[in-house]
Amino acid sequence: MTTGFWHQAAAVVHRDLLRERRRGDVLWITIPFGAIALLLVPLAVGTDAILLRQIGPGMYWVIVMLFGVLVSVGKASNETLPQQDASALLGLDPASGFVGRATSATLLLLIFEMVVGVVAVGLYDISIIGIPWLIVTLIIVAIGLALLGTLTGSIVNSTSAGTALVPLLVAPLSVPLLLGATQSYEGLRLGHSILSWVLLMVAVVLIVAIIGVLTARPLQEM
Amino acid sequence: MQAQTRNRQWPWVAIVLSLAVAFTLSMVSPADSVQGDLVRIMYVHVPAAWLAYLAFFVTFVGSVGYLITKDLRWDRIAAASAEIGVYFTGLAIALGMIWAKPTWGVWWTWDARLTLTAIMFFVYLGYLALRRTTDDPVVRAGRSSVLGVLGALQIPLVHFSVVWWRTLHQPPSLVRPDGPAIQDPLMLTALIVGVLAFTVVYGSLMVKRIELIKLDDRKVAIEQSIERPVAGEAVTVPDLGASS
Amino acid sequence: MSDWGWVAFAYTVTYGSLGVFAGSIAVRIRNTRRSIGETE
Repeated sequence: MTTGFWHQAAAVVHRDLLRERRRGDVLWITIPFGAIALLLVPLAVGTDAILLRQIGPGMYWVIVMLFGVLVSVGKASNETLPQQDASALLGLDPASGFVGRATSATLLLLIFEMVVGVVAVGLYDISIIGIPWLIVTLIIVAIGLALLGTLTGSIVNSTSAGTALVPLLVAPLSVPLLLGATQSYEGLRLGHSILSWVLLMVAVVLIVAIIGVLTARPLQEM
Repeated sequence: MQAQTRNRQWPWVAIVLSLAVAFTLSMVSPADSVQGDLVRIMYVHVPAAWLAYLAFFVTFVGSVGYLITKDLRWDRIAAASAEIGVYFTGLAIALGMIWAKPTWGVWWTWDARLTLTAIMFFVYLGYLALRRTTDDPVVRAGRSSVLGVLGALQIPLVHFSVVWWRTLHQPPSLVRPDGPAIQDPLMLTALIVGVLAFTVVYGSLMVKRIELIKLDDRKVAIEQSIERPVAGEAVTVPDLGASS
Repeated sequence: MSDWGWVAFAYTVTYGSLGVFAGSIAVRIRNTRRSIGETE
């Protein structure tokens, strides 16, 4: 393959989205899983409207962190070893493969966030405020979580424990994203500046992206 | 042979001696004016927490070392430090809870340091879980080292996020959850000696844990090199009774 | 429980768990040495 870095990445994105359209893992499995989780919580903690409005935003973001990462897991385990070998033999730059997979994971996560978000707003009566910054937060979280999930998926790489191991590895590392997202919502509600939280989340994105790109080739060569 | 055995046991001796000194100082130092005798728990909690962070840092260094040199010795250092680190992180959390219950009436205070230590515990645990999924030492080392670097570089961001979160939600009039600063010289000595003793314990455990890793690797190598009959040779072609 | 009770609890947990952890390493080293000694 002699095409450039970004062309290769775009080809990977195209392949992943096509795969999703055919198999529909995210649409039919991950999103419903997140939605039913939101449904189960009030069954356990109580349906008092005031309580739900309080915990709603936090529950939403926890569901995004824990369940959204499954978007990356499904894709990582989709690529069998022979498929990976084929990509390598074709000359696919592992770094552009990483960027491509992270990008498609971001897009799928955005869809996840929006659909599950609608469910959360409905069930927990969450008020939507500060829409521009909210959109920024949704996008940054999607990128950060997709990067974490894709990189972790590459590290674990189709071992038998992959399905539960990736979420376990991502969960503690997703804390800055979780706190950034929830504190941003709180900040917008109270009228505070949320710039520091946004910058923190951007820092997460940058660091994981750099590590992911730099380690793509070493990981492939194992 | 005897000298070899004696030399191999020095780490255990070092552990016992250093802990004996630290323990004596912890018991002999005066009680705190505010916390009373509960402050003695700090003389093991703080060293354990210090070691948790040190071990984490060493795992990071080992991971970077392996990624750069591809020498498995770096990976052994990273892995040994991670296992010892999980232990000390768990211990630090347990001791923090044992201190918190009589002091604050609850087992968990959600203060920044305790929460951060708990998150670190799970990062370590994930690292060890990842290592268990692969037998091949080279593949295992490669994957672990990338995770080690990823985890270590994210920890400062986790730290900031948790600290900011707590400063937003804790009223400033609340006394620092980990107690007032220790100022009495004998108490300070007990604390510092505790930290030094635990560092000796860490170093000794590292020596022994790495020794165990090398022994395990040698055992695996021996098992793989032994000539064994191929399993298929135990099965013969079935006789179908057909006339040839 | 008295303050000294909590302190005793904490130190028991500390030295007890350390003994178990260090002991497990020592035992595993001994067992691995033995099994290597058997095959060599």
